[in-house]
Amino acid sequence: MSKSLLVISRQAPWSGPGAREALDIALAGGAFDLPIGLLFLDDGVFQLSSAQQPATLQQKDLSANLQALPMFGVEALYVSQRSLAERGLQDQPSSLAVERLDDSSISALIDRYDQVITL
Amino acid sequence: MATLHVLSHSPFTDSRLSSCLRILGSQDALLLCGDAVYALQDGSAQRQALELMPESIALYALDEDVQARGLVFPARLTLVDYPGFVALSCQYDKVNTWL
Amino acid sequence: MKFAIALFSPPHAPSSRRALRFAQAALAGGHEIVRLFFYQDGVHSASSNVVCAQDEVDLPREWREFVQAQQLDGVVCIAAALRRGVLNDDEAQRYSRTAANLDATWELSGLGQLHEAAQLADRLVCFGGP
Repeated sequence: MSKSLLVISRQAPWSGPGAREALDIALAGGAFDLPIGLLFLDDGVFQLSSAQQPATLQQKDLSANLQALPMFGVEALYVSQRSLAERGLQDQPSSLAVERLDDSSISALIDRYDQVITL
Repeated sequence: MATLHVLSHSPFTDSRLSSCLRILGSQDALLLCGDAVYALQDGSAQRQALELMPESIALYALDEDVQARGLVFPARLTLVDYPGFVALSCQYDKVNTWL
Repeated sequence: MKFAIALFSPPHAPSSRRALRFAQAALAGGHEIVRLFFYQDGVHSASSNVVCAQDEVDLPREWREFVQAQQLDGVVCIAAALRRGVLNDDEAQRYSRTAANLDATWELSGLGQLHEAAQLADRLVCFGGP
C-alpha cells in the first residue's frame, strides 16, 4: 500500500515561489495516484482568498493550481480554523472547498498520515 | 503514530514554535536546532512555554547548536548529537520539519 | 532503516550543513539513504560554481564528495533548478544558455523522484530554513 503524505503549506501566496512549490509537491503526488493531503496553516490560509489579483504583481494565478488539486486526485484539503480566525478570515469565502479543522483535529490529521512535509 | 517535530527558526521572530505547540500530540516530541534553540533562553516566555508542555512530550535539542550559543538549558531537555538525531528519527514514526 | 533526505535550503544556510551531517550519521549508523532530493533553494548545493573562502566550510564540495564516495542517488528538482539558474549541459543547450553548472554528481529530474523516494523509504526527513 502506498504511504500517505500530508503537505502543510504555511506560505503566503506572493512572498516568492514557496507557496507554488509546496502546491507542486501535492500535485505531483496526486499525478502519481498517491494518497496526498494538503493543509493550509498560518499564512498559507491567504492562498485561499478569492479576491486576489496576482496579475498586478505580474504573478500567475495560484488559484488555477488550487482548482487543479481535485482533478489530480488531491481531495483531502484542510485549513486551520485558528489560522483563519487569527487573520480575520473566518467569514471570508474560500476559493477552494476545504475542511476547517481546530488544533486537536490537526494534531489527529498529522497522526493519520505516514509522512509530513511542512513548508 | 508519534511525530518528531523539528524546528530551526528563532521563536522570537517567527511563529513556527507557537503553531507547533498548539498542534503537538501528547506522544510527540520536539527537537530544537539552529536558532530554534534560543527558545531555551532562560527568562523568556518561550522557555516557559516549553517548561509547561505536558511531561509526555519529550524535548530535545541539537547539542552543537546549544553549545555554540552558550545557552543554559532546562532539566527536562535532552541534548542529542547527529547519531542521536538519526536515532530519534527512527524512534518516532515520522519527522515533521518546519521548513 | 531506509531514509529519504530532502534539502530545501541553500548551501550557506545552517540547515544545509545539518542535512549533510545527518546523512553522514545515518550511513555511519548502518542505515540506508534511498535518495537525496534537492528542492527549492536546495538546488544551489548541486552547483559547481559555488566558491567558498579557504577557511570556510564548502558544503557543495562536501555533498559532492559524500555522494560520490557513498554512491548515493542524488536528484535535483529540474523545475526548481531551472528557475534558479542551475542547469546541466542538456538544459543549457535547450535554453541557449552560455554555461552549465550542475555538477555531474547530480541528476536533474522531476518531483516524482521525491515521491518515489518517500515511498521507498521508512522515513522522509526534510531540511530547510535557517
